[in-house]
Order: sequence, then structure tokens, then C-alpha cells
Amino acid sequence: MTDDAPPPAALPLPDDLVAEFVAEARELVEAAAGDLLALDGSPDAGVVNRVFRAVHTLKGSAALFDWPAMLALLHAAEDGLAAARAGTVAAGPDLVDLSLAALDAVARWTEAIAATGALPPGAEAESARLAALYRTLLTPASGAAPDANPAGPAPDWAAALLADLGERPAGTLTALRYVPRADCFFSGDDPLGLVRRLRGLLALRLDPANPWPPLETLDVFACNLAVTLLTTDERPEVEAVFRLVPDQVTIATIATPAAPVETAPGPAPEMAVAPSRTLRVDAGRIDALVALADDLAAARADLGEVVARAGSGAGLVDLLPALRASDERIGRLSAELHREAMGLRLQPLARVFRRFPRALRDIARRLGKEVTLTLEGEETEIDRDVAEGLFEPLLHLLRNAVDHGIEPPAARETAGKPPAGRIVVGAESRADRVVVSVTDDGRGLDPALLRRRAAERGLMAPDALAALDEAGAIDLIFTPGFSTAASVGAVSGRGVGMDAVRAAVARLGGTCTVESRAGAGTAIRLSLPRARSLVRLLLVEVGPERYGLPMDAVVELARIPRARIRDLAPGAATVLRDRTVPVLHLADLLDLPRGPDGPRGGRSSEARLAVVRAGDERVAIEVDRFAGRADGLVRPLPALAAWPGLAGTTLSGDGRVLLVLDPEALVGREPGEGEARP
Amino acid sequence: MSVRRDGDLIRLEGACPVEEAETLAALLLARPGTAVEWSGCTGLHTAVVQVLVRLRPPLRGVCGDPFAARWLAPLLDVPDLS
Repeated sequence: MTDDAPPPAALPLPDDLVAEFVAEARELVEAAAGDLLALDGSPDAGVVNRVFRAVHTLKGSAALFDWPAMLALLHAAEDGLAAARAGTVAAGPDLVDLSLAALDAVARWTEAIAATGALPPGAEAESARLAALYRTLLTPASGAAPDANPAGPAPDWAAALLADLGERPAGTLTALRYVPRADCFFSGDDPLGLVRRLRGLLALRLDPANPWPPLETLDVFACNLAVTLLTTDERPEVEAVFRLVPDQVTIATIATPAAPVETAPGPAPEMAVAPSRTLRVDAGRIDALVALADDLAAARADLGEVVARAGSGAGLVDLLPALRASDERIGRLSAELHREAMGLRLQPLARVFRRFPRALRDIARRLGKEVTLTLEGEETEIDRDVAEGLFEPLLHLLRNAVDHGIEPPAARETAGKPPAGRIVVGAESRADRVVVSVTDDGRGLDPALLRRRAAERGLMAPDALAALDEAGAIDLIFTPGFSTAASVGAVSGRGVGMDAVRAAVARLGGTCTVESRAGAGTAIRLSLPRARSLVRLLLVEVGPERYGLPMDAVVELARIPRARIRDLAPGAATVLRDRTVPVLHLADLLDLPRGPDGPRGGRSSEARLAVVRAGDERVAIEVDRFAGRADGLVRPLPALAAWPGLAGTTLSGDGRVLLVLDPEALVGREPGEGEARP
Repeated sequence: MSVRRDGDLIRLEGACPVEEAETLAALLLARPGTAVEWSGCTGLHTAVVQVLVRLRPPLRGVCGDPFAARWLAPLLDVPDLS
């Protein structure tokens, strides 16, 4: 489908898209509120990060609809949480309370949307109020501008307040002088009640409007106060609050020197792979599962008879045929059960793809580009978690394509292209994987430019850069720190680079490749597992611990004389099949003590190596023992337990929980290195 | 009751609406210098605030109304407002 409708009228949004938003928002709000409550009292960077990601995801989803109040509030909340993540604002009770209030508002609006399809009346005012509160929260920390001289004229009556204001936020302030009429109490006014509604209040003075009359003639119901204040609320908000007393107020906008409100970009926000908690399932599939479970129970009953015969003294030879038949039958049924169960989790990619036309149109309009979007292969089915986790990376790729790929209309015509850029988001099945691609016909990536930028950023030594072939240079866009996207946009922005896209895709079990021809366009392909499937694992041991290594990452196993491992400058290495391969001990990678037989010299004369692929490199991981193979369904670790280098857990045959390693992440880091990136 | 005498103190409790200004002023004028305890107060009408501004009684406790605690208490704490 294409998105070429020029008027800004809302695209028809399918009801189920709204329903999906409602379901997602309920989950995210609940999870984030729980996290916030946990945060109250014990600041924890991981929890702040989770709340941030929940809000970030919510914002991304809300941006697909025409709910500006919701979006504005989520944007403000995201700013506040981003500051807490960056440490410029304390993740203390103020932030927690405010964020809980914001989530509460979002929850109420979500229910209103579920009931009526629209935000409730008053949402706009509430959103503005809460957003202003977030700004206030951010003000003292981010407004560290030492320059106290106002750049704009401040009226005399505001000068004293302005001078008293120690720290000054960047941007404009609104000053207000409010002299209520003496009889205002009789008309029901509560002047300070109005002031109270300004959420960005920075300074306040109360002065007698006229000299106080002597106490003998005190009239408590005659108002003789003059209110002077400064606020970060913008002028229209202030005017709205005082709209009923316009004759009694004077409002001035004071320009203050612009100071960078955004601090240096923090660690690239991770693209969340939101855990799923609900799943809509076709009833027919449940029936099939129940039938399979019945068959399995019957097969087990047959096996029970064989066991009973063995118990009454039947010989093994007599029992063997029955045991074989039973094993075969149970094996077939469990495989079928597994396939059916996995099938429950599949959903067509259309559910993700159809959110894109609207998002793309907004992005294109904001950037002043003309773009048509074509969706292909929307019917392709994929695991629900994978589909959900794909939305953000794909949205980011789309934004990149519009921002950096598609040229402005005039430049396109000069290059002999149609003025409207063309972006294709496609999906196709390939064996047990699904390939999702984002292709544009824009200017393409220029290897020379990429090399230059990588050099400027010091991402790679100059000679290494020069040695890169064209494909290698194009691959530079995935290097952490390469992205320049520093602007904060409503859709994605916030400096999420291609490295974050690749990381998000890797967490889904996928890989990410790019192809580009200068002048002709760029294609980014994500290859993803269709379903969570049984993973073949190599079992390895270090000391008493046993771990699983996914077999598809293991290139070969080797036992070599220890003498063939040399200590080279950066570490140990050996030569295997004419290639020099670094050797890392698993114990070191996991920060475990080396096995009981002490330092390397005292170990057995043979080293056991599992050679794994890590990107284009091969790395040998030394282990104490190989302990066989196993099949397992790998479950990701909960976020709290996540540790770089661990892919998840699986149950081993004896019911023990086995930790499954992620070789690429494991060898990509030095032991003890945290998650922080510059 | 939102304004009441409690021994040596005058207590502001709950929301203090406009009409309480008169009660408060009367209590304060009857015994100048009586301290006002406002930690149980959850809101003050401007008229009540004006009485505090005019008569400047010593204040006890942290006002239970966050707006007043944040913005009004500092104004009422200084000896002279002008």
C-alpha cells in the first residue's frame, strides 16, 4: 500500500490496532508502575532503565495515533526518565510521584480510549500540567547555565525576582504580576488557587498591594495582596490559568540565554524487546493441543503397562519391542506438541507492518521529504515476541531511510529519479527463518564518507580503516558510537544508532546486514528466527559449573597440546587450520575462578577448545571439559538477571537449570566490563 | 473544624476556606504572638494566607499543603514582608 494522501486527516485506524495499543499500554503501565514503586526508596539504574524503556515504547506506540495530549505527556515523562538515567536528575520521590501520576493519567486515558476511542475531556490540560511538572523537575539540574544575565528585557516588577533566582533554566520564562481586586474574595476568587495551578513555578512574592491599614480596621475579606511570580509555564498556559481575571494581571515573556538543556547523549538507549504476557489464540489451535495432550496421556498409559510387566519379572528382551514402540510414539507426539505450541505464538507480520504507513507519513512530513511506502509479504508469520521486538528497530530503519537515504525532491529529479522516494518494507520466509528488509532508492551509503566519519570519531585505527573493503566500510554504520543522530525527535531519534538496531535484532536471535550502492539506494536485511525453536547445545564445563553453548555458533571443537597456545601481546592465541585464533578461557570470560588445578602450567597437557564465530572473527573458548550435547528451548533471562554473555536458560534432561551462553556477546567483552558504553 | 485553639497553639486543620480567615484573625488578635501549627492543613484560601501575611504569627510544623510548604512558608518565615 502507499501513503500518498496529502491532507493531514487521520488515516483510518483499524479498531484492532487501537485494541492492540490498549492491551500494550495496560501491560506497560502496570509494569512501569510496579517498577516505580520498587524504585521508591532504593534507586536502581536497571529499574530506571526499565521504566524509561516502557515509557519510550509507549510513546512510540502512542505516536501512531492522533492523541497529542498523550504523546506530549509521554514525551515529557521520557525526558524526565532519560535525565534520571543520565544521572542529571535524582531518581527520587519527586520523579517517582510525578511518574506515577503520569502513568495514572495514561492508564485512565487508555481506558477512555478503550471505551470511546478518544481521549477523555480534560486530558489536554492534565497533560500540560504534568508535562510542566516534569520540566520543573528537570530545571534545576539541567539549567546549570552560569550566565545569570537575562538576554531579553524583564519588566521592573519582575527584576527583583529574577535577580533572586539562583539557577536559571534555559529558554523563556513567563513573569506575572497579579493584583486581585479588593473585593475578589466576594466573587469567589482564590488568587493563590490560580497560582497553585502553574506547574512550572520558579519564584513567588506576596506584597501588600497598598500599605496595610492599621490593625484596628483590619478587614480580612478585603484582598490587599499583590502576587509576583516567575514560571517556566509558557505564556499561553499562564494566560489560560488567569483567563478569568485578565484585567488584574500583567504577563511578560522573558527571554533567557539559551543553554543546552540536553546533556551529552548518554548510553544508546536499548531498544526494548518487550516481554509478552498475553496472547490471543485461535480456539481451533487450542483444541488441537488438547487432543495432542490426550494422545500423550494415552501413550504414557501404554508405557505404564510396560513398566508393570517389567515389575512382575518380564525379561528385557520381551519388553524391548513394546519399549521401542512407546518411545517412538511419545517422541512423535512430543515433537508434534512442540510444533503446535510454537504455532500458537506465530502471528502475521501485518500486525507490525500496518503501523508503518502513518508513522512514515509523519516522519516524511516532518523532514520535508516525499516518500511512498510499499509493504510486501505482510502475511509472513513470525513468533509474536519477535514481531513485537521488531517494531522499534524497523521504525528506526524507516526513519533513517527517510532522513539519510531519500534525497529532497529537487535533488532526486536532478539525479533522474522520481521526486517521491520509494521505501519497501518486505518480509519473506526462508527455511526456518524470516528475512525482513527495508529498502530505499535514495542516495545510498558512500564508503569514503563512512571511512572519514569513522576516522573522525576515532572508531578504528587509520590503517585498519584503509584496509576495509567496500562492504566492510558500509558495515561501519553498525559500530557503536558511529551514529550521529543526536536530535530528539517525536518518533525515534534520541541518538539510537544502528548499533542499537543490530543489538535489538541480535536479542531476537537475528542478524542484520546492509547492502548499498552509492546513488542507487540502501537495503537493510534482518534475518530472524521464525519461531523459538529447540536449540542444539554443546555442554561445556568449567570447574563444577556446566553451561550450554549454542551449536550454531560453534565452528569446531579441538583438543590441542597446551604448548601450541602462545602468549602473544594482546593475549593467548593458537594456530588452527592456518588461522591465528585468540584463546580465551571461559572461566575468565565469566569472572569465575580457574579450575582447581591452578594456573595454566599445572593443567592437563591438552587444552579443550570450542571455536566460535564472533562476527567475522573466530575465537577459541577454552573449557575444562566437554560434557555432551543437548536440545533445549532457550528462555531469555528476566531483565534483572541479564548479564552480558548469557543468552538465557534451558532445562537440562535431569531437570536442572542450565545457563546458555551467548558466545558473540561473551567474547566481545573483557571480563568485568559493564554494560556502559561511552 | 479547620481553625481552632489548642492550648497555646492555633491549629489549622484540613482545608481552610475563605471564611476561616475571620476566625484565625480573631484568635490571633485576641492573643497576639500565638503560634500557628499548620502541619494538618491541606489547603489555605488566599484570605487565610493574607491573615498570616498581615499578622505574621510564628509558624509551627511543615504545612500539610505542599504548595504552601514550598512557596508560602519561606515568605512567611522572613520577619518583614515589605
